[in-house]
Amino acid sequence: MGKTLFEKIWDAHVVVGKESGPSLIYIDRHLVHEVTSPQAFDGLRMNNRKVRRPDLTIATMDHNVPTTDRGLPILDQTSSIQIQTLEKNCQDFGIKLFDINSPNQGIVHVIGPQLGITLPGSTIVCGDSHTSTHGAFGALAFGIGTSEVEHVLASQTLWLEKPKPFEIRVEGKRKNPHAVTAKDIVLSIIKHIGTGGGTGTVIEYRGEGIEDLSMEQRMTICNMSIEAGARAGLIAPDEKTYDYLRGRQYTPKNYESLVEYWRENLKTDDDAKFEKQFTLHIDDIAPQVSWGTNPGMTCDVTETVPTPDEFSKGDPNQKKGAEKALDYMDLKSGTPIEEIKIDRVFIGSCTNARLEDLIEASKVIKGQKVSPDVRAMVVPGSQMVKKQAEEMGLDKIFTDANFEWREAGCSMCLGMNPDILSPGERCASTSNRNFEGRQGAGGRTHLVSPVMAAAAAINGHFVDVRKMDLS
Amino acid sequence: MKGNVIKYERDNIDTDVIIPGQYLKVHDYAELATHAMEGLDPDFHSKVKEGDFILSGKNFGCGSSREHAPIALSHSGIKAVLALSFARIFYRNSVDGAFLLPIEIEEDAYNGISEGDEIDIDVSKNEIKNLTKNKTYKMKPFSEIIGKIIEAGGLFNYKP
Repeated sequence: MGKTLFEKIWDAHVVVGKESGPSLIYIDRHLVHEVTSPQAFDGLRMNNRKVRRPDLTIATMDHNVPTTDRGLPILDQTSSIQIQTLEKNCQDFGIKLFDINSPNQGIVHVIGPQLGITLPGSTIVCGDSHTSTHGAFGALAFGIGTSEVEHVLASQTLWLEKPKPFEIRVEGKRKNPHAVTAKDIVLSIIKHIGTGGGTGTVIEYRGEGIEDLSMEQRMTICNMSIEAGARAGLIAPDEKTYDYLRGRQYTPKNYESLVEYWRENLKTDDDAKFEKQFTLHIDDIAPQVSWGTNPGMTCDVTETVPTPDEFSKGDPNQKKGAEKALDYMDLKSGTPIEEIKIDRVFIGSCTNARLEDLIEASKVIKGQKVSPDVRAMVVPGSQMVKKQAEEMGLDKIFTDANFEWREAGCSMCLGMNPDILSPGERCASTSNRNFEGRQGAGGRTHLVSPVMAAAAAINGHFVDVRKMDLS
Repeated sequence: MKGNVIKYERDNIDTDVIIPGQYLKVHDYAELATHAMEGLDPDFHSKVKEGDFILSGKNFGCGSSREHAPIALSHSGIKAVLALSFARIFYRNSVDGAFLLPIEIEEDAYNGISEGDEIDIDVSKNEIKNLTKNKTYKMKPFSEIIGKIIEAGGLFNYKP
């Protein structure tokens, strides 16, 4: 019987293991950031261990760096300590670090692909759940905890149980691909399969609807695999993948011979078997807006906020969850999504802060002003994205519309730096999680695409961007 | 392993409510514990006792990979979380650092055990006894690797 792409990558990385039971898996790239690594480095020191492959380990600071002027000192002392600790750890253990002043600094999942560090067929880990993003390149990439970070630092391997392959087919063509985006596709998938729908699996996204996407859009899809509970999500590489990585700063010297190998090997065999399957038809899907407190609580922009009964379909825990979510979000069932007024807009995060995201959002706002009731910010995913956007004049479009244009980092996606919501504030956010308090205690998050966020900023409430000319 | 149950009758308890992002800069585990479950239940810290268990629904610990989540619960005194299912990163983090036992249960235990009940978990028999109600439920056995990591006292002592 044939193998899935995931199984081929897995098998190629087994150091020790049997068909059933745990396997020791070799890790090709380890990405490190300031928040989940300090205890891991402490552990190495305590046990007098070295980093086994510093050459395969790359660090940056993204989670709690301020997004204001990089020339200013960091006021939050605990953030400052965490950033200095990473600097010291990288120096002590000989790890390449893109620090706060580096032109390569940025969200770890944005810079990996941009620098050519992310490669097809490789295994990539990071102490961050959104490591699944790198799966867009046909890599097996997943988030790990700090104990595992220490294990990889020390041994370049991990003990793992083999997840099950899950096929998600995305079929059809979007009528308006500028208005209905990759974000809407992945939110639709999570809406259908639920936040635990992918637990214990590695998703392979396939079909015409995936092949049509650009690399940056594919990253948005794979990024949110974890929101469906999957260990990882991946997409078989194709010529778009190889073109994207060609000639980047860290792309290997023997790149073309690697591409030849990848073309031959990195695909799911026709007779391979998936343990689970789901198909989404995208011809008629609408822009999505989350209304609740997990990414599965999402509906079309044209719909109304559901009742707990409509949402739960008879599951008592789901019903309780929906009641609690509506209460937390201060929403009433039956309210049209388009009537929900917002206070804040955040365009940023490893889900949607790449150049294409900013280009698409800028089309919506060009020549217009942010609603006087709204505070809106753009946080580019990396300093490279920021520079490219500025070269195209996008910063001017955003600032002319009264958006704040900030430095790169995770920012208001997770509320670790000063960019947070105040209690009760409602935000249209291009990030990945709408959990209670995620963007600041008491803050209310609605997950949307960059174009939907931009349109909400201008109008002060959600609008169906299919009605706008975005070509 | 005996203790009392704190029950959260809902699914999808995420790591952002278990330990909100603003505390990921805190390295002192005792201080981290004072903020455990703050996003969901601000009274948690005052009511939790050493040796207590948490009981909850599906997909417990979904979201971020922060190991701070099982650490904060563990240093609050929680010895095990019983749930209908777990998000995988939280599940592994719980045992890798020997912080707490993630115990998968069935609907009978979820529905049968109430807030405050005293239960006795016997991992060797895969059994949970409800001492308050005099009932016994099955827990799902640990897989080979998880069982061995638990026995070893964490990932770094694990031998296949």
